[in-house]
Formats: sequence, structure tokens, C-alpha cells
Amino acid sequence: MANPFRLPMVPRALRNLASKPATRLYPTEIRPRFAGARGEIEFDLETCNFCMLCARRCPAAAITVARDDRYWSIDQLVCIACGVCVDVCAKKSLTMSEGSRHIHTKAEIGPDGRRPGLEEWTKPAPPPAEINTAG
Amino acid sequence: MKRTTIPFGPQHPVLPEPIVLDLILEDEKVIDAIPTIGYIHRGLEMMVERVEYTEMGFVVERICGICSFMHGMGYCVSLESIMNVEVPERARWLRLIWAEISRVQSHLLWLGLGADAFGFENLFMHCWRMREEILDIFEQTTGGRIIHSVNRIGGVKRDISDTELAAILARLQQLGAEFKETARVFGTDPSIRHRLSGVGVLSMEDARAVDAVGPMARASGIAMDTRLSGTFMYDHIDFQPIVETAGDCLARVLVRLREVDQSIDIIRQAIDRMPKGEGMPLENKPRGNPTGEVFTRLEQPRGEVLYYVKANGTKNLERFRARTPTFANIPAMIKLVKGSDLADVPQIILTIDPCISCTER
Repeated sequence: MANPFRLPMVPRALRNLASKPATRLYPTEIRPRFAGARGEIEFDLETCNFCMLCARRCPAAAITVARDDRYWSIDQLVCIACGVCVDVCAKKSLTMSEGSRHIHTKAEIGPDGRRPGLEEWTKPAPPPAEINTAG
Repeated sequence: MKRTTIPFGPQHPVLPEPIVLDLILEDEKVIDAIPTIGYIHRGLEMMVERVEYTEMGFVVERICGICSFMHGMGYCVSLESIMNVEVPERARWLRLIWAEISRVQSHLLWLGLGADAFGFENLFMHCWRMREEILDIFEQTTGGRIIHSVNRIGGVKRDISDTELAAILARLQQLGAEFKETARVFGTDPSIRHRLSGVGVLSMEDARAVDAVGPMARASGIAMDTRLSGTFMYDHIDFQPIVETAGDCLARVLVRLREVDQSIDIIRQAIDRMPKGEGMPLENKPRGNPTGEVFTRLEQPRGEVLYYVKANGTKNLERFRARTPTFANIPAMIKLVKGSDLADVPQIILTIDPCISCTER
């Protein structure tokens, strides 16, 4: 048998036999995300004023905003979670979640061929009276 | 003697990324090697023409998944010097800390890959287990494990609180103590010595002649380290570049082993000397568009990286160029491969720590 003193990994290997595994049994044991970890962009339709700044500043062009249609969408598969949109949003409509990013699969592609990560919102037009006071 | 040409790569067990070397052999000896790169060229430098300079930082960060922090930092530092933006002191210290943490991460990753290449699976697993803890520190402080997105032109986006910094340092020092055992295996195990010692020797003269950078040059006895220039707060840190003189594959492993300890010590000094307190300024936002050109040098885990930025007063830069350390080390690698045995080629290629994504961008 080889001399264990000339094989410096042997003590470690022997300890490994007795110690717990360094890995987790992933699907059953999920490590909680750290506070401040970047997850997905969450959108609050109520406060958004459709200024389009987020769409203009998004490096990945994941956000589409149509001011006239009061439409806001994000493609979570294109989003790189850099957080620029959260920083520039004056109305604080955008937040970064701390959870893991959702895994979008091909199976989620809708019958109309829509990308699985696309999330859309359309704000109903306000009643005419509100437009008058705002204008 | 009849010559044989063996294509090495793009798919090969030791290569984490695709590169091709056409090895021309006489019997078992390599007499020539012709590299072909371009398998993962993504045209990232060209993207400056259609991506605004404020957004380009996120693209530059994605050049490479291992030194992503330093790529982002190099780009932001380049634009800060063009636009004369004064970066707050705490932000500069934080950048140094993250940069050194990413050096530890990169070296642990490479040591694992190296161990895997010479067939030491157990050692590979241990290196990567330790690297995992460094990635946890990154996730905790920047919000991302690989792509950090904390560098902004003019500073950094996130602060690390003083208590958190102390906790990180304690964790790193504990990791460093644990790493000593692993480092001892690399340094003393007879099978590793037998495999690496005397293989792929790059003399100091040759290293100078082919302009080797980073650990490659330091393993050949050249005390070259861009951090010595004292930029990015390194002038406040006491350290000496780690130099080995043998110039073989083992020396390159030893340089990286000792650099892990050195980086942890640099982080300790940085945490000692940085200004303390909550709510300190972290970012001075630049105004207007940049005009001018600049070269920036940084010491990445693999060696010196050089950024060239030329701006013409519009939202898009005119030219962005990154000369990455692996690109600079390819001539050295070719020099070493010539004249070596075919069986030693994988070790030689791996010990330059090739990052093909960086090289081809």
C-alpha cells in the first residue's frame, strides 16, 4: 500500500467518507435566495404613466411600451435583470423580485406561437372626465 | 519522417471552450501547431455601433463569464477617464474588493479544471466546492452569481455594509485556511509533480520574447503585474507580485495557488483601509456624451487586459477594443506546444488558463 503521507489527499478523502455531502438534494431541498439577489422584473400597472423611459433605457430591449394604447410588456426571456429600468422608473412601478427566475419552457408556447416569457398589460382608458382634469 | 496532422479541438475533454490547434507531429513529438480561433466570436465589439455607451457596459460584462466583473469595471473606468468623472472613494474600494474576490473565484475554477485535466477528480470537486462559496458571496453582494451588473459609469450601484464586509472577510479567511490543505495537495502530491514538473518550460527570455502576461509571465520569473501601477486603489495596498522561476506547468499552478492567498490578504487590507460608514456616495453620474480616446490596463486573473475606447461625442462609441490576456498568451502557448510530446499538449494548453470567450469576444 502506498504511504499515505506521500499522498496528501488521502486524509481529506477519508474525512469525506464520514462527512455529509457538500451538495444539496436539489428538487427536495432548495436553498433560499439571498436578500438582494436579482430575480424578475415585476410591474405595477396602477402607478405606471407610460413615460417609456424603461423601454428606451433597457439594454436588452426586453420592454415594449405603447403610450397611446396604454400597453406595457416585458419579455422575461430577453430581460437580463440588470435593474436599469428599476433605477430609472420615476413612478416606482417597477421592482426587482428576489425569487429565482421562472424557467420558461417550450411547452409554454401558446397556440398563437407567443413567446413563453412574454408578459403583457394593457391599462383600460380612464373615463373622459379624468382626461379633462389632467389636460 | 512522415508527418501526421492531428486536429486538437474544438471538442476536447480538457477544453472548456472551443479552440482548434492543428498539431503537426513527427512520431509523438509536436513540431508545429497552427491555432484557429473564431468558434465563439460574437461580434461584441461591433455592438458599440448600435448600443448606447451607457448600455454597453452590460454587453462588455458578458464577454466572459469568469472575469465578468473586471470586464465591466474596465469599461466603466475607461469611460470615466474620458468623461472626467470622479468616482467616490468607497466605490473605488468596493471595486477593488469585488475584483479580488473574482480573482479568487477564477483561480479556484482554473485549479479545479487543471486537476480535472490531470485526472484528479477529487481535487477538482474540492476546488469547485470552494468556488461555490465565492459565488454565494457574489450573489449576496451584487445580486448575481456570474453576471454582477454592479458597475456603472461613475461608480457602483450597490454598497456592501461594514458588518457584511466583516462577515465576508471572515468567510474568506476561513476559506483560505481550508484552501491551505488543498494547496498542499497541489504542491506536494507526487502524481501531480510527476505530471506537471518540467512540462512546457517557458524560459524568462522566451516569455519576454512572446510577450506572455499574467501568471504565465510570473511563473517564468517576470515580476509583471499591472496592479503594481497603483491605479484603482492598489497604491494603498502592500503586496508583491508572486513569482516562480521554473517556468513549467507546475510553476504556473503554484503561482495561482499563492495568488489565492494573496488576494484574500489584499481584500483584508482593503476592508481595513476603506472609509467606513453607511450611506456614503457611490456614484457620480456622468453628463453628456463622451469625446476622446483612452487606453485602460487592468490585471485580470489571467493577466493584463487592455481596453481601447474611442468616443466621438455621440451616444454610440466609435470604437471599443479589448485585448484580453488569453489572446496575448496564445503565442506563448504555441511556443510551448512546439517540441512537446502529444500527451503533454493538454496540460500545456490548460496551464495558460485559456479563456476563449474573452479571446474571440
